[in-house]
Amino acid sequence: MIELQGLTKTYGDKTVVSDISLRVERGEFSVLIGPSGCGKSTTLRMINRLIPLTSGRILLGDEDVTRLPAEQLRRRIGYAIQSIGLFPHWTVADNIAVVPNLLKWPSARIASRVDELLDLFHLDAGEFRDKYPHQLSGGQAQRVGVARALAADPEVLLMDEPFGAVDPLTREVLQNEMRRVHEQTGTTVIFVTHDMDEALKLASRIALLDAGRLVQYDRPIELLTAPAEAFVSDFIGKADLGLKLLSRRWVHQYQQAATTSGDAPHHWETDAQGHPTCLHGGRPTADVPPRVAVTDDWTATPGMTMKEALSRMVWYRVGVLPVIDDAGRLIGEVTLEGVMGRQP
Amino acid sequence: MNHDEHDGPRRIANRVLATLLVASLAGAVLLPFAAMAPNRLVSGESVSLLTALRPWQTLGLAALAGALALACLVRPLGERRGARLTLVAAPLALLLTLYGLGDYAQRALTDASPAARVSQGAAFWVLVFCTSLMIVDAFQRLGSSLWLRSGYGLLLVAAVAALFATGTFNALSILREYFNIEDAFVDQFVTHLTLVGLALAPTLAIGLPLGLLAHRRPATRGVLFSVLNVFQTIPSIALFALLVAPLSALGDAVPWLGALGVAGIGAAPAILALILYSLLPIVRNTQAGFAGVDPATREAARGMGMTRQQILWRVEVPLALPVILSGLRIVTVQAIGLTVVAALIGAGGLGAFIFQGLGQYAIDLVLLGAVPTIALAVIADFLMQILVAVSRPAGAR
Repeated sequence: MIELQGLTKTYGDKTVVSDISLRVERGEFSVLIGPSGCGKSTTLRMINRLIPLTSGRILLGDEDVTRLPAEQLRRRIGYAIQSIGLFPHWTVADNIAVVPNLLKWPSARIASRVDELLDLFHLDAGEFRDKYPHQLSGGQAQRVGVARALAADPEVLLMDEPFGAVDPLTREVLQNEMRRVHEQTGTTVIFVTHDMDEALKLASRIALLDAGRLVQYDRPIELLTAPAEAFVSDFIGKADLGLKLLSRRWVHQYQQAATTSGDAPHHWETDAQGHPTCLHGGRPTADVPPRVAVTDDWTATPGMTMKEALSRMVWYRVGVLPVIDDAGRLIGEVTLEGVMGRQP
Repeated sequence: MNHDEHDGPRRIANRVLATLLVASLAGAVLLPFAAMAPNRLVSGESVSLLTALRPWQTLGLAALAGALALACLVRPLGERRGARLTLVAAPLALLLTLYGLGDYAQRALTDASPAARVSQGAAFWVLVFCTSLMIVDAFQRLGSSLWLRSGYGLLLVAAVAALFATGTFNALSILREYFNIEDAFVDQFVTHLTLVGLALAPTLAIGLPLGLLAHRRPATRGVLFSVLNVFQTIPSIALFALLVAPLSALGDAVPWLGALGVAGIGAAPAILALILYSLLPIVRNTQAGFAGVDPATREAARGMGMTRQQILWRVEVPLALPVILSGLRIVTVQAIGLTVVAALIGAGGLGAFIFQGLGQYAIDLVLLGAVPTIALAVIADFLMQILVAVSRPAGAR
């Protein structure tokens, strides 16, 4: 748990961050978001005191760490930044081992921790341990950067737009990986971004800042459905609010039993193993054939967002998608009526 | 009719080598190879290469010239194999030229008067210079590693040293000058190195912290660099002269400094001037080295909880070291050269022979001061290059 109490930063008579208080529970993934210059990065950098605070208090667990020497504090807090900042003269293993080394862990424990982290990020330890940063791709370097930040099991992990500089494809992969790593490690994360889709994808709580002020700190769904003031809905953007909402909804929440009986307006054919092969009916217009073969592209999985499921329905012009499990067996379906018929 | 016919097919793969070869051949034929004089103070009678060398030596040089001519052509060897052939033929030509000169001196002096002298002529210098450049050029074309170059250089130096050790050159005038003043030469050589060392140590002690200061406090840069620049613009001889008055006053006024050797002439002004000259490259390169460290790396180091000292020693210094050492390389070579001038204010060093020789109009004595200085500078430069290469962190390209 980490708590900020009345965090304030002024430069001369200019207030950059004004009286921000928020509490991030253990294991929470909290995202600070807002327009450029809203003070989100300054707030983050005040937490590990890269920027000294003008006033306010920071509690880590129940301990007031506001007066703790900055270096000691930083060794308890992970830090990953957009420009990564790997040490170019050290190997991947040495880079990851920085904080454990500063904390004087025994070398055997450091070595096994390094391998464990490379493993966590699906980087082959044998291949990557002894590489130098310039031998890594952008995505690999950022994984190593996050691994380094996690190395000493920090009480909080601070991330400052870590995926802002990579290409969209890599960003998507890294975001998925970050979700998985967060679920696996249960680390408390505070993450700065200006990308609402990224925030919606990752956050368990979102803090929206504007001009140094905390406007709303809530669960993503609350931010979307119960904005505290006009600025919130303006910032999120009204145009695709419905889709944003669906990006926080999962297929398993909308899943219903699949109809296989021939009497229903639409029904599935399956093979002997239970894989869906064919859909009868279920197409909104008459100009398409009544029976259509199921392809991999228009199936849904329980962990998929409803935004993506809806996108597939639109693209393939079907009002219903089969929901399949890991083995590809039919376990249910989601329908357009189901999406429409429910409060999002 | 081919439209690019007027260009003709390319025949020469290595124009540099071809030019050097033509220059050496022209020099060998047109210029005197050696000079024979009745005593050390008069200029001698020119001796051509053909007269000076034994037939087998001339034939050997001709054969090596043929090989080098082959090495510059497109066919049959081409550029890379040509360069490898050059690396064999050029040093052999160099060694044969050296040996030929020593051999000639021995033969020429057997029935001459004891005062007679044989010294090297222009053709000799042209051959030495051109063959050395051929080797340098070949290494550049091959892009060989520093280690290969070091090993090769070491072998070549060893071969030349062997020629010296076996007394090949003992009859030459420059060696005769050396034997006349053997003890003094060793003394001045050591003095030369000592002056360079005594200047570089304080330069580093002052320059490195100043460079770090210039990096951390950009406001100091303007003043610091303009002051250091002023020293660089003063001609060396003027700076030595300017220091004489204040230092002699200081030596007189503070007795213990005087006892330490602080005086208007001698080592004190020489070392001080060398320091003033060396500071700018060291300070500037130190600052540039630190400035070259990626700010993201520094930010990450701070964020990880490294202290200022840890960031300096574990991150900034290792990353800045190659640039700092490049600065040291510049000032080392510069100081070896400048120390020659310091002989004028009584500091000693190899410059002493140069000015002595100029005074007596004994050119071989001048060379006895100049050639070792040049060799020293070249060797120091090479050693520093190796140091720079070693200091480059494995991960940084």
